[in-house]
Amino acid sequence: MNDDPLEARLIARVQSGDAEAYDAIVERHLRRVIGIAFSIVRNAHDAEDLAQEAFVKAYQNIGRFRAGASFGPWIGRIVTNLALDLTKHRTKFRHEPIEETQPAARRDDAELPALQRDAASRIDAALDELPEMQRIVARLHLIEEMEHAEIAEVTGISEGTVRSHLSLARTKLKAKLADLYD
Amino acid sequence: MTEHDDFLARLRADAAPLRHQPDEVTLARIRARIHARIAQDEPTVAEIIASWFRPLAAAVAVVVIVSWIGIASLDAKDVNVDRVEIAVGGETYVVGH
Repeated sequence: MNDDPLEARLIARVQSGDAEAYDAIVERHLRRVIGIAFSIVRNAHDAEDLAQEAFVKAYQNIGRFRAGASFGPWIGRIVTNLALDLTKHRTKFRHEPIEETQPAARRDDAELPALQRDAASRIDAALDELPEMQRIVARLHLIEEMEHAEIAEVTGISEGTVRSHLSLARTKLKAKLADLYD
Repeated sequence: MTEHDDFLARLRADAAPLRHQPDEVTLARIRARIHARIAQDEPTVAEIIASWFRPLAAAVAVVVIVSWIGIASLDAKDVNVDRVEIAVGGETYVVGH
């Protein structure tokens, strides 16, 4: 259910052929969509390309978008599927050059205290060691600050499975980062 | 584990610097690329006119074909009606226009 009447009106305008109204929808969701993609592919350029593809794909299929539904979970699901497809493709065709993961770009990086940067890089490394779905769920929960229901919507897995992945990830992270948090 | 677990809450706070935050220039570039891709998908005036004329042309073609078939079959019927063969004493006579 879309609780945002302005967004519902914008979507209705796009559905009736007003492409300009789509710019405002992109504006509202772009950061979150890039964040979701980055949580999965761990590369800023890929995340930005995937976000672009997701918005174009959503526009091409806007006629199928159910009136009154929220756009956020829908575009989140599209970008998640595209990002998972890319990672699967890269795993399958190992001969393709696999781009190194890039640290997240932050405007205020230089201002972060060294201790906070160290803790963040320890968490990053611990997250990278988790199995794929645990890693994705944990990154979406911890870094994108998404709750269980939102993660379930964008990944297409049940809320119970999200809880289960997160619980397993939590146990492993607690063990790996014991010196930081005990 | 609760949704607002203390350990996860602390991890969230410490993991905040890991969030990818593209700058405004990057965001503007991506928005412009999306806009351009969508504009490419938009049909041109010529394509819109063509899309209107395509079904019209198809309808006219159907009418022409049906009319032609109708006229041809009427002509065939006319030939049959107009040509009457009469056999008398072993001889066949044709009566018609």
